Amino acid sequence: MKASIFASIVIVALLLSSVALFGHHSEAAQFDTSKPIKVTGTVKKVEWMNPHVWFYVDVKDQNGATTTWGFSGLPPGMAVRKGFTKDTLKIGETIVVQGFRAKDGSNNASGLSVTFSDGRQVFPGALEVGTIPTTK
Amino acid sequence: MRKNVVASFITIGVVSFVLALYCATGFAQGPTQPHQACSPHQGRCLDIKPPNLPPAPANWKAPRTHDGKPDFTGVYAGAGFNHQLGPNDTDTPIIRGFDAGVMSPTVPGGDAILFRPTTGKLEIDDPIGLCLPYGFTSQIFSPYAQQWVQAPNYLVIRHEFINNFSRIIPIDGRPHQKDIEPTWGGDSVGHWEGDTLVIETIGLKQWWLDNPHPNGSLWHSDALKVTERVKWVGPKLVSYDVTMDDPKIWTKPWTEHFDMVLHPTWNLLEYVCNENDRCSQGNCKESDAQKK
Repeated sequence: MKASIFASIVIVALLLSSVALFGHHSEAAQFDTSKPIKVTGTVKKVEWMNPHVWFYVDVKDQNGATTTWGFSGLPPGMAVRKGFTKDTLKIGETIVVQGFRAKDGSNNASGLSVTFSDGRQVFPGALEVGTIPTTK
Repeated sequence: MRKNVVASFITIGVVSFVLALYCATGFAQGPTQPHQACSPHQGRCLDIKPPNLPPAPANWKAPRTHDGKPDFTGVYAGAGFNHQLGPNDTDTPIIRGFDAGVMSPTVPGGDAILFRPTTGKLEIDDPIGLCLPYGFTSQIFSPYAQQWVQAPNYLVIRHEFINNFSRIIPIDGRPHQKDIEPTWGGDSVGHWEGDTLVIETIGLKQWWLDNPHPNGSLWHSDALKVTERVKWVGPKLVSYDVTMDDPKIWTKPWTEHFDMVLHPTWNLLEYVCNENDRCSQGNCKESDAQKK
């Protein structure tokens, strides 16, 4: 279990590195790579807008209270070219989102990976996963 | 015997001349081979792959305009893609820059213009994070679609990114304007060399060279001259070579080869950078979706 959590953090960190190093709107300045987050909730709203797609997820805690989290993805013009469209996330659908929290402590985060109930994964905030940069 | 020797020398001379001309015109790079493109100073490298397109059929002919010139009209993924095409006409945007491996050595003081270590100020480290123009030559690496519209004497290149930056380029061989005020787009003029469209750009203000780098940014000077050479090489594939000549930075011009892939189903999207810029400079704004 610990290994699984660690692996998840490493994968997400790699994904973020592809955005943080390359992201157009300074994701590195906005999100804290020391604060990974993983939430399960239902899609509340999708903002298909520039400079970045935002999607919102309602997350219920143990007491039944709901908190809305906002997640930042790629810009629409980049996301759509790799097959992530405005219809990929359905309102009310349950998803698991992984990313990193906003530096300002708000309920915002980078939305790097989304896992659906059937196990499918999409990467609304990551560039080409196969071209994670290597360091010589 | 003597005739053979003379013929051999003539052949060698002709071949050498053709090769020299070939290199001088910037086509020394050839088709894309799998390679790593690495940024100067940073050691960050990306695996660049050849476009996964079939070879051009033997009977294939490049599209042409009514006046017989090659016609580049269409919507493309340019050098900001790794061109691994998938189902539904998808492609693979990446954030890349010029490859340090093809750059010429720098002149004394050139490296200080080329590389600026991270300052903490977005207007230096990442000006597009403030919705400022990407500028030419960064625009070459836009990981967004770009639409080319060709008329007899003009070529219009309209990018999605940033704020639908557009270039209107005379392609009738006219010279540059006089007394050019440096701008983010510069002054571009084009002419034809056979089936190759050659576009020269000067009059660029000192600005970003390509894309964000881990520990700083790369810049060109206001002395930069860019030469783009564009040629059809397959039904969806256009060869795109860029020659960079910036005497304030490099000892001599250098050329890098890229590919452009035509995407028949793509349409250009509108891009308004300020539309929903919710986390500018690290401060996220609440959304209506988060208000109860």
